[in-house]
Amino acid sequence: MTKYRNTVTKFSKEADLLEPVARFAKRRGYCLQTAELPFYEYRIDLYGFSHKKNTTVAIELKLNDWRRALEQTMLYQLCADLVYIAMPESSAKRVDKSELQSSGVGLIAVRDSGSCTCMLLAKQHDEVHQPYRLSQINYLKETACA
Amino acid sequence: MPELRPTVILRMGSHSEKEYIEKTLKQFDGVMVGANLLQISPGATASLLFKLNKSCMRPYYVDPMTYAFGQYIDPDTGRVRDDLDWIKSDQKVPGKKGGTERKFKSSYRKLADYFGEPFLTALDRGRALTQADFSSDEVIDAACQAVSRFQAERLREVFKEDPQTAAYANDFPSPAALFAPYFYVEPHRAKHWLDLNHRLALSATRQTKEIPVHVVLCTHLNLLTDTDLSALVINNLLACRPAGVWLWFSRLDERSAGREQLTALRSWVEKLANDMPVFNMHGGYFSLALSKFGMAGTMHGVGYGEQKDVVPVIGQSTPTVQYYLRALHSKYSVLQIQRCFTKLGIRNPEDFLSKICDCTICRHIVGAGLNEFSQFGEIHYSSPKSKRAAQTPAAAKRCRYHFLLNRILERDFVEKSTLAEIVEQCSASADMWSKTMIGLSAAHAKLWAEVLNSVA
Repeated sequence: MTKYRNTVTKFSKEADLLEPVARFAKRRGYCLQTAELPFYEYRIDLYGFSHKKNTTVAIELKLNDWRRALEQTMLYQLCADLVYIAMPESSAKRVDKSELQSSGVGLIAVRDSGSCTCMLLAKQHDEVHQPYRLSQINYLKETACA
Repeated sequence: MPELRPTVILRMGSHSEKEYIEKTLKQFDGVMVGANLLQISPGATASLLFKLNKSCMRPYYVDPMTYAFGQYIDPDTGRVRDDLDWIKSDQKVPGKKGGTERKFKSSYRKLADYFGEPFLTALDRGRALTQADFSSDEVIDAACQAVSRFQAERLREVFKEDPQTAAYANDFPSPAALFAPYFYVEPHRAKHWLDLNHRLALSATRQTKEIPVHVVLCTHLNLLTDTDLSALVINNLLACRPAGVWLWFSRLDERSAGREQLTALRSWVEKLANDMPVFNMHGGYFSLALSKFGMAGTMHGVGYGEQKDVVPVIGQSTPTVQYYLRALHSKYSVLQIQRCFTKLGIRNPEDFLSKICDCTICRHIVGAGLNEFSQFGEIHYSSPKSKRAAQTPAAAKRCRYHFLLNRILERDFVEKSTLAEIVEQCSASADMWSKTMIGLSAAHAKLWAEVLNSVA
């Protein structure tokens, strides 16, 4: 089993990462957003849609376990054009980026200050299952209107 | 080493599973019901077993569930408990609005009523049976008689009690075997429990001659690889010579088991199979493959149930029934499977049917379009108040039927294949799927191949 060193960070739970990451995504154009978007037995921590780019993004928030996050984000590729793992900066530094890169998964580091930096850009991929993607976009639009 | 035809016994956990059993039992090798189910719904259970026997001509078994009256290990704390709490439930107190009381479930209360002493005493004092409760041979003999009578006669009695079925009571077939009373071998007092189980097995086999008597070894997982205790159990079984033995290593999951555990299971089968049929009480494909080493059969439920903890997990939400992938003999989420399509070159229904599954269910669903595969995972909010979406009953049903059809195919494959072919299939599938995102969880197939292929 992989062991993770405890690092001193102001983020004690994954939900603490949501606000800074959501702000970061918004600045990148993903203005239509929802947290905890149901996707079968999973819940996508943050899902966003950019009208301008006609692109969707799914972001998995994790404090430490990037391998588990990678497994989840690979599934989210079925419904999102771009997928990212967002972690506290100290954890993000320890991620094996080549593994993420080979799957097209991006990495966002969140500093204690709340500012975010993209350490690895997500790649467009061939895994998107259009019915899933469209259904998530529709859900976003419906919840935004409600 | 006898090489046997692999058999699969279906266990019916509740009457909600009736439909699956009715539709598929003809293609399986038998059905088992728990004594608690029989006691809580005697008429429905008896009618169903009667009907199944007439229509499918398959044997049935009644698990006496005597272990429920013994000690168990609390899955949360790891401590031995003797409060019998897991056979209790919160029951409404008549006349007190909203009030509940923790009482024994009526199915187990009725079972104890039938079994008599010392089972009744255990419920009355609210404390599990121990070896001390079976201090004399008379108590042992009486308990064995009552438990055997229950399995052999209870269904006929139920028919006799109802005027509509009384005329058919004598036509009710006997079960294929009777189980000696058995208790969970908890590791702290393993030798004591093994001794009690052995005495019960000896008494039951001595007293019952008309119907074959089988023995259940229901034990903590550690015993599987404990050389000394394994030798003791095997010697006990060889001394008793029951007509069959059912192994139940609590929580043994063939897919997550390590090499040592799988090798030990194979070794148990090899050591016993020359003298008696060996069954896995809760097993899967690996146990089916062990038929090449003498395993006579394996049992599981209609929605998997290929491993079981002695104490059932209570209070969790209904688990999702995942999609069974025959190539790896394991279940995966719909999303996991879909995420592998690109890597495996699955672009249309034909690719899916040739590379993943072409059972009737898959042909019907995926045949209409590759996107339709998602029907196996369909979710909904079961009520307006639900906070979490759950699998729809229709999706769960598709997964269960798909699993059952695949299990028949697996059994038939094992039967007609050589050990080398079974090993090759496991190994080749593990290699093929290792390239996909579920590669890491495909490792069990490689390990199975190695254990099956190793020289004893």
